[in-house]
Amino acid sequence: MATDLLGQTTTATEDELLDLYRRCTALLARDDLDPCVHAGVRVATVGLATVVNDLGLDYEHLIDLGA
Amino acid sequence: MADVAPFWNPKTETLPRDQLEALQLAKLRRLVDWAAARSPFYQRSFAQAGFAPEQLRSLDDLRRLPMLTREEWMASQAERPPFGTLPVAGREAAIRFHTTSGTTGREPIRVLDSAKDWAWQSEMWCYGLWGFGVRPDDTAYVAFGYGSFIGFWGLHYAMEKIGALNVPGGAQTTENRVKQILDFGATVVASTPTYAIRLAQEAGRLGVDLAASPVQRLILSGEPAGSIPQTKALIERLWGSVAGDTAGMTEIGTIMIFECSRQPGGTHIIEDHFIEEVVDPTGDAPVGYGEQGERVVTSFGRGIIPLLRYRTADLVCKVPAARCDCGRGFDLYEGGILGRVDDMKLVRGTNVYPRAVEAIVREYPVVEEFQLRLTRGDDLLDRIALRVELPPDAADATWAELREQLAKDLAAAHEGLRFEVERAATGELPRFELKARRTVDLRDKPAGA
Repeated sequence: MATDLLGQTTTATEDELLDLYRRCTALLARDDLDPCVHAGVRVATVGLATVVNDLGLDYEHLIDLGA
Repeated sequence: MADVAPFWNPKTETLPRDQLEALQLAKLRRLVDWAAARSPFYQRSFAQAGFAPEQLRSLDDLRRLPMLTREEWMASQAERPPFGTLPVAGREAAIRFHTTSGTTGREPIRVLDSAKDWAWQSEMWCYGLWGFGVRPDDTAYVAFGYGSFIGFWGLHYAMEKIGALNVPGGAQTTENRVKQILDFGATVVASTPTYAIRLAQEAGRLGVDLAASPVQRLILSGEPAGSIPQTKALIERLWGSVAGDTAGMTEIGTIMIFECSRQPGGTHIIEDHFIEEVVDPTGDAPVGYGEQGERVVTSFGRGIIPLLRYRTADLVCKVPAARCDCGRGFDLYEGGILGRVDDMKLVRGTNVYPRAVEAIVREYPVVEEFQLRLTRGDDLLDRIALRVELPPDAADATWAELREQLAKDLAAAHEGLRFEVERAATGELPRFELKARRTVDLRDKPAGA
């Protein structure tokens, strides 16, 4: 069972958001994406990073991923 | 979407204080680790202070970290131009490059933002805009020049993020902006407090009754005046709308405080994204609730420029969240930003604060613009003059009465100090779209300057 930065059990929606966020960061880390794909994935990742930070689910910087 | 919620982020905006502080500590640990691993500036300053990230066990340990001053930031920029040693990466990692406004005449601070940092900045504006009642069905007019000063850029993107219809009001005359506000049917207008007054004055000249327009909310930022009760009351009366104060700074890239729709006479601190300390301006001892002190900010936002314990020189007075009945757990700054640590002028032994002068002047709506001018005569005596601009058609009798009343009010508020109240010619005093600078201290300048 996942927990947030406060140690509280995450909700089903939060689990889904975290899963999406991690899938996006993994995709963004790939070096075989076409420019249009890379740009779109970066936008999606940044949007989800903001959400998981707001909800206290995760907090990290994405400089190494170019975001 | 649960758009009936009064909060942008109900989960953290309503956290009890112990949980809010636990969240701050969790984020602070990660931020300090990040800064220690990546930022040359912090690697050096932590070493000089004998601080190691593992010493951070509680929020109280924050005080083990050295404070950062603007002077240190500037020195770092001079040491390694153009961005200094604070950033963890260079321009290749960034998508935005902004600077401070330059209104002080000093070398500007240059800042970089990554894509994630930029998204976070508009997110902070979302907290404030939503909290003051902006919703997707609003039409927002942003009366801002859209230059290299970061200003309302974050608000612009926040409006889009919320889903409001957004009108960028850059590169326009004041007259055209008034017309556009009406033409586009704006329900929200964003500007500095000074410019909100100027827009209203221009509307008056054009015969436009803004109070009868669809505008319902004004979002103010860029100057402390948004929380000066007399100035806010004047703006609200001129526009027939409610005015919400916000405040931010280029050094963090966005706002850190906002006034909620309850208008409790203060601004909430976005405490899930910032730690705001208040300290004695002459040292570093913390001051308690209800005491005035200097803001020191730690921001969890920018990854490219970590900001830990930055001394802002803003004067504030923190009060507990319970002061407002909106339900947020975020503490407030009573009266918003009260001024700057170096704002106060000493004139013949009397302290003169520009904010207090403005509060008196704004009691008289006939005043179109004003300037406080300090000079020193050959006799080495300081002289303080309030220069006042009235509408061109203001009668002599109106002026005579105003001059007498203003001189009386100013003296009464300043231990009898004599203010010379002078009428400036129409259009003589400077007008401001960004931060107004109405205090001119010429006491160290040669006579006639």
